[in-house]
Amino acid sequence: MFFDPKVRVEDFEAATMPHFPHLYRTARLLAQDSAEAEDVVQEVYLQAWKSFHRFEAGTNCRAWLFKILFHRLHHFRRHWAKASKVEAFENPEDQDSIIAETPVPQEIRDEDMLKALGRVPIEFREVVLLADVQDFSYKEIAETMKVPLGTVMSRLSRGRKLLRQELAGIASSYGITTEKGQPLTGEPA
Amino acid sequence: MSVLNFDSKQCEWIRRNLDAYLGNELLVETTSDVLRHLESCQACSRELETRTRVRDALRRAAASQVPPEELRQSIQHRLRERQRGFLGGSRQLAWAVALAGIVVVVLGGIATQHWIGTLRGRRLVASVLALGVSDHLQCAIKGHNYPNIANPPEVLRKKLGPQYAGLLAVVQQNLPGFEVLEAHICSIPGSPRKYIHFITRGRGTILSVILTRSEGEQLPREVAHRSETPGRVNLYEAHLEGMNVAGFESKGYFGFVVSDLSQDTTMQIANALAPPLMTALEAGPGSTARLDLGAVPRACPPPART
Repeated sequence: MFFDPKVRVEDFEAATMPHFPHLYRTARLLAQDSAEAEDVVQEVYLQAWKSFHRFEAGTNCRAWLFKILFHRLHHFRRHWAKASKVEAFENPEDQDSIIAETPVPQEIRDEDMLKALGRVPIEFREVVLLADVQDFSYKEIAETMKVPLGTVMSRLSRGRKLLRQELAGIASSYGITTEKGQPLTGEPA
Repeated sequence: MSVLNFDSKQCEWIRRNLDAYLGNELLVETTSDVLRHLESCQACSRELETRTRVRDALRRAAASQVPPEELRQSIQHRLRERQRGFLGGSRQLAWAVALAGIVVVVLGGIATQHWIGTLRGRRLVASVLALGVSDHLQCAIKGHNYPNIANPPEVLRKKLGPQYAGLLAVVQQNLPGFEVLEAHICSIPGSPRKYIHFITRGRGTILSVILTRSEGEQLPREVAHRSETPGRVNLYEAHLEGMNVAGFESKGYFGFVVSDLSQDTTMQIANALAPPLMTALEAGPGSTARLDLGAVPRACPPPART
């Protein structure tokens, strides 16, 4: 490995540091606090550096880093408070029986969105962030999370609905209603 | 939670596929079916607009989570420490370092001169590229001067005016995977400089294409990257205020591509976009006649959040 250009720190940084803001944002929105997010991201880079010689140049560096990120996040999560039970939300009958279309406020503030997102159980939040913020395909998410494609799709669908419900709940707490004067979480549109 | 009772089975089917449509996960045939339905169904179109709005708001909120610069520095510091630890035990490295030291001493004078020149060049490039970053941040990111659903091309052409309308097609054709949400002539309050600003969305982020008069300034070629496209354009890059920017210069103009995508991606996009934009800028009786940014009718529109 001596003088192998693949292990030069400059090469490593050139390939991986452009993804640093995206890794941090994802970690920050999934970890319990900023200190934990920083620890996770730091570990991701040190782990990636250790195995960089196995990374094939020209392949998807971002996907590779996110796989490491989620591995580290899941490792950290074993020490967190118990996560929500996923099974309760993955009941196919639950998804098929309703089409939830909760109205959402016209103006969505960043702080309200972050609050609503924080209330979405983490298994769903992970998939929503990868799909809607990081623009990963369903297949890439399945590979990153190591779950079947069907699970990705059901978690994504459920996660987006939960996010809308939380947004509507926050808006209602401010007294914001639909244009017709209905509470956002109220009667069918 | 609201539960909608659809009059049409078709609406129910569309809404089950709407998220996959937004995520570009549908087959071409299914996408056509969804598009056809959306053209005729206001309720489903509204639902699509709502889902797009929530997704865009989520992206904005996520983007507000700015990584601390100290974390980046700490990571880079630890990486270098580890590299030193790994290489420190190698006798081969010691010989290599000694040899390199001799070479450095011999070539030091020449290298230092070259380095100083390059450093000055990079500073100049950074100061010019900062113009593009500033406009992207002020108008697109902080000002949010774009709609969630792209303005129709005829509206954008009208906003650009007859002199600049032709550039819209050049941007659309050479920016695959991005949709042009907004195009206008823009100015930063307190600055006489005007910009042609295309705000586009793709790859999970907002990307700006910005053109402005160079006012006689020229970028140093020794720090440029040569474009790989047939036009062989000089491209310049910088990372400023959390954004990656790629710049190029044409006859009397600077062009910028700005986003938070990786530097490589931003350069690749500029690599494809710069030659046709330069051709358009330099075509006709003269670029100043085609794009006289000194006579701009209006400043950047006020934030138009929906």
